[in-house]
Amino acid sequence: MSEPNKVILLVEDNQDDVVLTLRAFKRSHLMNPIEVARDGIEALDFLFARGAHADRASAPLPTIVILDLKLPKLDGLGVLKAIRADPRTQYLPVVILTSSKEEQDLISGYALGANSYVRKPVDFAEFLEAVKVLGIYWLMMNEIPPQSLPQ
Amino acid sequence: MNIRTKGWLAAATALGTIALISAAIGWANIEVHDADHQRRQTAEIARALNDLRLVTFEYILHRSDRAQVQEREASARLDRLLANAPFSSHEAAEVLAELREHTAAAHRIFEEFLASSSDPGATAYDAETTKRFEAQLSGRLLVLQQESLTAAFRLTDYSSQRINAAQQRVVVVIAIGLALIAITIAGIAWLIGHHVLAPIGRLQQATREVAAGNWSFELVADRRDEIGEMSRNFNAMTQALRDSFAQIEHKNEELAALNKEIEAFSYSVSHDLRAPLRSMDGFSLALLEDYGDKLDDDARDSLNRIRAASQRMGRLIDELLGLSRVTRTELSIRAVNLSAIAREIAESLKLQHPQRSVQWVIEDDMTVQADKPLMVIAMQNLLENAWKFTGKTEQAVIQVGTVEEDGARNCFVADNGVGFDMTYADRLFGAFQRLHHESEFSGTGIGLAIVQRIFRRHDGRIWVRAKPGQGATFYFNLKEPLHERTQQGHLAG
Repeated sequence: MSEPNKVILLVEDNQDDVVLTLRAFKRSHLMNPIEVARDGIEALDFLFARGAHADRASAPLPTIVILDLKLPKLDGLGVLKAIRADPRTQYLPVVILTSSKEEQDLISGYALGANSYVRKPVDFAEFLEAVKVLGIYWLMMNEIPPQSLPQ
Repeated sequence: MNIRTKGWLAAATALGTIALISAAIGWANIEVHDADHQRRQTAEIARALNDLRLVTFEYILHRSDRAQVQEREASARLDRLLANAPFSSHEAAEVLAELREHTAAAHRIFEEFLASSSDPGATAYDAETTKRFEAQLSGRLLVLQQESLTAAFRLTDYSSQRINAAQQRVVVVIAIGLALIAITIAGIAWLIGHHVLAPIGRLQQATREVAAGNWSFELVADRRDEIGEMSRNFNAMTQALRDSFAQIEHKNEELAALNKEIEAFSYSVSHDLRAPLRSMDGFSLALLEDYGDKLDDDARDSLNRIRAASQRMGRLIDELLGLSRVTRTELSIRAVNLSAIAREIAESLKLQHPQRSVQWVIEDDMTVQADKPLMVIAMQNLLENAWKFTGKTEQAVIQVGTVEEDGARNCFVADNGVGFDMTYADRLFGAFQRLHHESEFSGTGIGLAIVQRIFRRHDGRIWVRAKPGQGATFYFNLKEPLHERTQQGHLAG
């Protein structure tokens, strides 16, 4: 259904949430490859081809980053800040997907340049619907800027 | 030295000066009186001298026995006067002594004169000699008497001088006294200016500073008088105020830290407690979807119950967070139109449940001074409750309005729904308190706790009147008066 070369980076530390999110993508028939980073540092390593992901130097950036806020080592807002600070990733679509409904998180998220903020509902049926809409919008409808950007 | 002592000292100086002047005048009066007496005595002496001279002459001219007797009388009188003369000064005493000598000498000459004129055995030659002797005597007598008169006049002069001197002294004393009094008054004025008015001015300035909120203002309190005492007390007072404020500040910091902790806790609750619930719900659904055909009805029912419970706990967590958010958010007080809020909520309820027909009666222009987001939450809870509990009522009516009671205007939200027994009314506003079974009316039992907390945060109050089967009316008021249209700047900030 969707273009299979569009990679999704899921930054999530909770294994259950990873499994459920992958299931939700699968059930929404989104077949894109999904890379999972378990903490903020790993996410940045993946994006900037560092450390364990040094071999990704020539690989394209993911189409979208789905970012949890509460993460080990470096939290979601820190990751977002680093993404926006780097010219290679400054326009990369980032969707915050989190349990938090705190006003402060919403404000900080948008202030740091998040493209979207989605709250994980407890009801999995609702979550499924959210992931489906999210995938359709960001992977099929949204146009992203070309990879090579003027510096 | 304190101001009271200084004041007493100044008053004593003025009084002392006045006493001194009075004493000087009194003394001068005595002096003048005394000198006057002397002058009169001196005049008396002069008169006696004159009398003596007259009788002496009379005897020399007429040689009458009567004149002789008179001379003796006059002489004795003069002696008496001279003996009692009221002169104490050295100068006057010398003059007096001279007078006495002259008088005595004159008397002796007169006696000689008497002796020579009464000599019966005198010859013609003798008579000639006697005549010459008598002439000589009378000449000497006259000279002596003349000198005595001069001395008497000197005494008179002396008395007059004494009177003049006394009067001059009085004038000088009065002048000096007046000058002293003037200096004392000037001193008192300076004292009041420098030691009373100026420090009071500084004190006044200090009170103004402190009243304006400058708590760190310190008075210089180096004086040893009442003002110094006052300044020290004032400084002690501001110090006490500063201490209290520091204490309050400290408590506030503690509270802020506590608030931060609660916030961190809420954040964790919001994030971490929901994750396991999502897993429970998600994997239950996964089981139902993937293995539903292999499970019997009981197993599927159990899984559905797990899902329902997870979702319900999710809602409870959300509402608890809502309750804590109501406590934590900062109030921004401004005019809030309750009527508009009520109408919006009513519209959205009608849209959500188009199958229901509820009659809404909403009073126009109900305006309160309050925090708008919180008032929206409160009204939402009250109106959703009214909507919910009229769900089984035919011809449901929900009213929003104001009512005057005990001189105060209260807002109310009334419904004609199921109502409840007032016996349980006090439990109504507690968290997780429900008066109906969830199977009858759904809900978490937290809504009214949130509503009550909102009104408490506005220093307001909410209470309820209800009867089973006849609906419930929730009354509330806020500290700020209802229908207050004028913008209150100090509250809007």
